[in-house]
Amino acid sequence: MSKVSRRTFLKGSAVLGALAGIGGTASSFKKIKPAKAAGKKKQVFSSCPRNCYDTCSIVTTVEDGTIKFVTGNMNNTYTNGRLCVKGYTYPNYVYSPDRIKYPMRQKERGSGKWERISWDEAYDIIAKKILEIKKEYGTTLPIALNKYSGNFNVLNNAVEGMLSSWGYTTRAQGTPCWPAGIDSQTFDFGAAVANDPEVMVKAKYLIVWGANPAWTSVHSMSIIERAKENGTKIVVIDPIMTDTASKADEYIGIKASTDGALALGMAKYILDHNLHDMEWMKKNSIGYEEYLNYLRNNITVEWASEKTGVPVEVIERLAREYAAAKPAAIWLGYGLQRHTNGGASVRAIDALAAMTGNIGVAGGGANYAQTECYGFNYAVQSAGTPPEGDKAGGDRMLNMNNFPAQVLAINNDPEQIPIKMLWVACRNPIAQDPEASVSYKAFESIDFIVTADLWFNETVKQSDIVLPVSSIFETWGLTASYWHYWVNVNEPAIEPLYESKSDLEIAMGISKRLNELEPGSCTYPTDRSIEEWISNELADDFIKKFGFKTWRDILEKGTAKVEGYEAAWSDGKFRTPSGKYEFLSETCAANGHHALPVYVEEMEVPKDRPIRLFSPHWKYGLHSQFQNLEWMRSIHNEPFVEIHPALAKKKGIEDGDMVRVESEVGYVEVKAKITHTVPKDAVVIYEAWYKEQNFNANFLLKATPSDMGSYATGQAGLAFHDQFVTVEKI
Amino acid sequence: MAKKQKRYAFLINLERCIGCNACTVSCKSFYDLHPSINRRFVRETSELLTGTPKRNYISTSCNHCDRPACATACPTGAYIKLDNGIVKHNQDRCIGCRMCATACPYGVPQFDPVKKKMDKCDMCVDRLEAGEQPICVVSCPLEAIAIVDLNEIDESQVVADLPGFADSSITGSSTRFILPKGTTVVRGGIKSWNTL
Ligand code: SF4
Ligand code: SF4
Ligand code: SF4
Repeated sequence: MSKVSRRTFLKGSAVLGALAGIGGTASSFKKIKPAKAAGKKKQVFSSCPRNCYDTCSIVTTVEDGTIKFVTGNMNNTYTNGRLCVKGYTYPNYVYSPDRIKYPMRQKERGSGKWERISWDEAYDIIAKKILEIKKEYGTTLPIALNKYSGNFNVLNNAVEGMLSSWGYTTRAQGTPCWPAGIDSQTFDFGAAVANDPEVMVKAKYLIVWGANPAWTSVHSMSIIERAKENGTKIVVIDPIMTDTASKADEYIGIKASTDGALALGMAKYILDHNLHDMEWMKKNSIGYEEYLNYLRNNITVEWASEKTGVPVEVIERLAREYAAAKPAAIWLGYGLQRHTNGGASVRAIDALAAMTGNIGVAGGGANYAQTECYGFNYAVQSAGTPPEGDKAGGDRMLNMNNFPAQVLAINNDPEQIPIKMLWVACRNPIAQDPEASVSYKAFESIDFIVTADLWFNETVKQSDIVLPVSSIFETWGLTASYWHYWVNVNEPAIEPLYESKSDLEIAMGISKRLNELEPGSCTYPTDRSIEEWISNELADDFIKKFGFKTWRDILEKGTAKVEGYEAAWSDGKFRTPSGKYEFLSETCAANGHHALPVYVEEMEVPKDRPIRLFSPHWKYGLHSQFQNLEWMRSIHNEPFVEIHPALAKKKGIEDGDMVRVESEVGYVEVKAKITHTVPKDAVVIYEAWYKEQNFNANFLLKATPSDMGSYATGQAGLAFHDQFVTVEKI
Repeated sequence: MAKKQKRYAFLINLERCIGCNACTVSCKSFYDLHPSINRRFVRETSELLTGTPKRNYISTSCNHCDRPACATACPTGAYIKLDNGIVKHNQDRCIGCRMCATACPYGVPQFDPVKKKMDKCDMCVDRLEAGEQPICVVSCPLEAIAIVDLNEIDESQVVADLPGFADSSITGSSTRFILPKGTTVVRGGIKSWNTL
């Protein structure tokens, strides 16, 4: 662990604002005029804080204190005045009857027998439990936190600050999404810094490699469509013919987990035909001779074809086209690195972009992610420091990507300080973590579980206390994207509904009660207004990047862009130890990998479970959010598994049949959907939380680590797509 | 010379539509529809539309037909075909008998269980008259929906019929589609087929 840069580790975050109505011009529609005087209608800027590439700036229309409509903010040229389907459901999200309205206590976990309690009671129960644990163990290490990306508003980092202010605690560390690729890009470039996606239109050739923006980044999909209409050739490489692939000029149905072989095969052809950019490599990189020698001695196009299933002549043509097009861009998705060799694949693709001189070029790049916009102070987090004299000396870090198993290992070992209390915020780990059955056991082994959420989801159902959290429209926030270069402010649009509070208010509330019960037991400040908190988040130099005088200037347009990233790395100043692009990375080698971007063999397909399972993102949800909403249910409300007709025929399965999908660790029963768009030897189940349905794709998944991630994010990622199953008709 | 009468119609670009339903939900939100009903519908259409298999969708709402079956079936005359081509439903006259829903080959009119009346898309006629585009048009993240004047467009570039969409000649559906282009598909064979 350690090495974690706080920004990368946090991945998301946000800040806040003051009050002001905004002109109707900000919106793509003109339903109402801006508020005048004490007008009953107003429009405010909101910001979607989900773990989404697009991190939209939203215009929210409020009439008589009720949200009437949300749409995209025109001031943000990436959002382009439009939202995705999830964003448009927000009014339903806010006013859903399913929201958790009050603090509640469950008589018995999983019973659904919730009784309403007051905030005072809730704070009292929780504070007493914390003090009791501290007294019994002489430390707060038995208290664990599991929080991540359900809401990336920077103010929610108050939860981390809150726990620190009790003492040293146990933390779920890491990120499930993208760590292997982040490590790869850190080894190669010194950091992941993608080109501004708005300049993707400048590419002459665009390879979308293992990403499905049609479902996960609709605004980038729109940019891709524009590029295509301008004559950019769009090639999509993916084992699944996604909606993105369906829009491509060419789709390459690669064998899963062999992406590195395709990149190396293309590079070999480019080298053999002298299409590489020797000048760029000499000027900007180290280790290129070793890399080129590796290609010369170890790689053939025939081998790459054998590995990937892509015919030799296709690899050769792709290589020629990619090398000839100037500039040519690659978008590396998070899907391709969710393998046991995923980090190695990303390095091979980075190298392909670098050897053709496509780095530092607008319309080029090996574009994976960026964290340049996270210039926040994280004041809400650093406000919490362990009280004097805490002997633990540091937090105990558990791997978020294997959290349940590690909790059980600790709680089954009498030598270790047990985990007695768990705080869950901005996360639904039972729905999202692999090995769901282990999650249930881990929860059972913990005495006391508090979850702060908006919905009675699986994790809440296994908790003792639930605290109602405000929606984004009821509080302040600030969010940045890890893809585009905009930072958005979120002003409250309405008063908090029911008795809901923000995570920051909850942190202050608990702190107050702790200090009443035992003065000095909690250092978290309790006397700051939310506006003060937000004003603390934007550092002066960050504000200057936008040409602002004060942070409040962002309220005028609701959004501000960090400029200067049309062509990331164009200054040639890489953040690696050598200051160059590193084809040969000693840091990578020191972390137990190869120094060069070599091919790492993919995971072997088990003989008894020969069908690969993909569980990618669902278009009507973002992980366990949105699919549960009534508006979404009116469009779609049934989980399903996609099966190729050839496999279905072999198994006697017809469209609409119920099938049992079984892995080493569990099974699910779902409806079959027959489609030609998936490989013959794989099935696809989209992960989502359906309201009141017994469905969770993660019962099938093993917590198999990906190859990389621990260097830059603290913990290795997950091989979500190296999962194998059998499929039978029920 | 008098200006030629407009014939407003939806033009859906299947090359751009990703089947996301943002159109459906933004419309539902803007008009505060009952949660159980929608004015726009996105359906999957044949994967083989362009030969090689891929994901294709049709997003449609009311097709503002030339010979609206809803209007013919309605016993109270709640439907009128406006001069600009829009078929408008007058809820004040509607008695919720659902004759229109049965008659419409596209199943467009929906029953609002609270108002006990039918509901359907009016092409955001109030917005059009105010010089603004319909909500679904301005909301679609892929800009796949447009309002066109059928008297102005080149009909040879568009189609009125698609698999899974009732024959446009029945009621003279005004909706037009831009067909998707084909995608070159390279899919490697699998070796372990016999063991699956
Ligand atoms: S989920 Fe993503 S695309 Fe949709 S509204 Fe939120 S940020 Fe925008
Ligand atoms: S919003 Fe646009 S892209 Fe999405 S389904 Fe509707 S028409 Fe298609
Ligand atoms: S034209 Fe207006 S009423 Fe009709 S589907 Fe679109 S948004 Fe809804």
